[in-house]
Amino acid sequence: MASIFKRGPARPQANITSMIDVVFLLIVFFVLVSQIVDLESVDMELPEPEHPAAALPEEEPRAVLNVLPGDDGDCDGYRLAGVDYPPTPDGLGALRTALVAIYQQTPGIRVNLRADRATDYRWVSPVLQLVRQAAGLSGTGQDAARMNLVVQRGGDSS
Amino acid sequence: MSDAPTMPKRSRTSEVPPARRRSRDASSIGLNLTSMIDVVFLLLVYFMVATDFKKAEEVYILDLPDRVEGMSADPFELDEEPLRIMVRSAGVDGTSFRLAVDGPWDPVRDFDGLYDFLLARQVDGMGGGLFAVDHPIVIVPEASLHWEFAIDAFNAAVRAGYRNVTLQEISS
Repeated sequence: MASIFKRGPARPQANITSMIDVVFLLIVFFVLVSQIVDLESVDMELPEPEHPAAALPEEEPRAVLNVLPGDDGDCDGYRLAGVDYPPTPDGLGALRTALVAIYQQTPGIRVNLRADRATDYRWVSPVLQLVRQAAGLSGTGQDAARMNLVVQRGGDSS
Repeated sequence: MSDAPTMPKRSRTSEVPPARRRSRDASSIGLNLTSMIDVVFLLLVYFMVATDFKKAEEVYILDLPDRVEGMSADPFELDEEPLRIMVRSAGVDGTSFRLAVDGPWDPVRDFDGLYDFLLARQVDGMGGGLFAVDHPIVIVPEASLHWEFAIDAFNAAVRAGYRNVTLQEISS
């Protein structure tokens, strides 16, 4: 009994080392994820159809092409891999060149198309044309451009 | 030699009062982690609040065949006449739409009606339909149509079970 109380009563302490590890991991996670999301995802209101028949994207190589929304259904440009292209003939030509390079680098890549729900179709149609042309010009032998039309999952999925 | 009783010798440790002895044993070099934990938790709360938790995104698969380069297609294969669905802009600032199905069909009013129409015209549907699930369907949006209405028409066709749905490009 004497040896038990030799150093006085026990004083319990929490070991906070592991907690600090977890907290730092969470911080690093949030910092990295926010940067990755900003790189590929432009802030816009994606279409949200009722009774959507869309599916979750498969895990495969893909490039994200954003149609930057403007005022009154207009378009401020296009963004691919963090680079902005103006909606002019020169800008579209540069975008096609970039798409051809992507196809040559990764044959069979799928292009995710993100456009605001209020953007006029006149700004989306050139993108479909460019992607189709780039797939043909890449010389990789693929007979179709593979695209994903990105929408937002709605509340009613019946 | 005196016979006076000698006091018992006290060790050096026993000369120190118990409270001071305990504090001396516990003295060690350590970090005060309290302020660091405060800062770390503030950072954590900041990033959790500042992070924009978005809804999950889903996709429709759209394969665009290269008609110009597609020379490997069978020249003797007869192309099926696609079913063309026109979607036009209507209302103030294009906030509405008008649907029209090319052919001798009854008009459809909205996208649920389009879904019912396409489902009933399917071979396996209950309406004695003619179209197989791989029958080509072309959505023809007007240039000033909002993208969401084009997607709604696309969704109606995909939801009805058709697998060969495309969007017509605007000829430049």
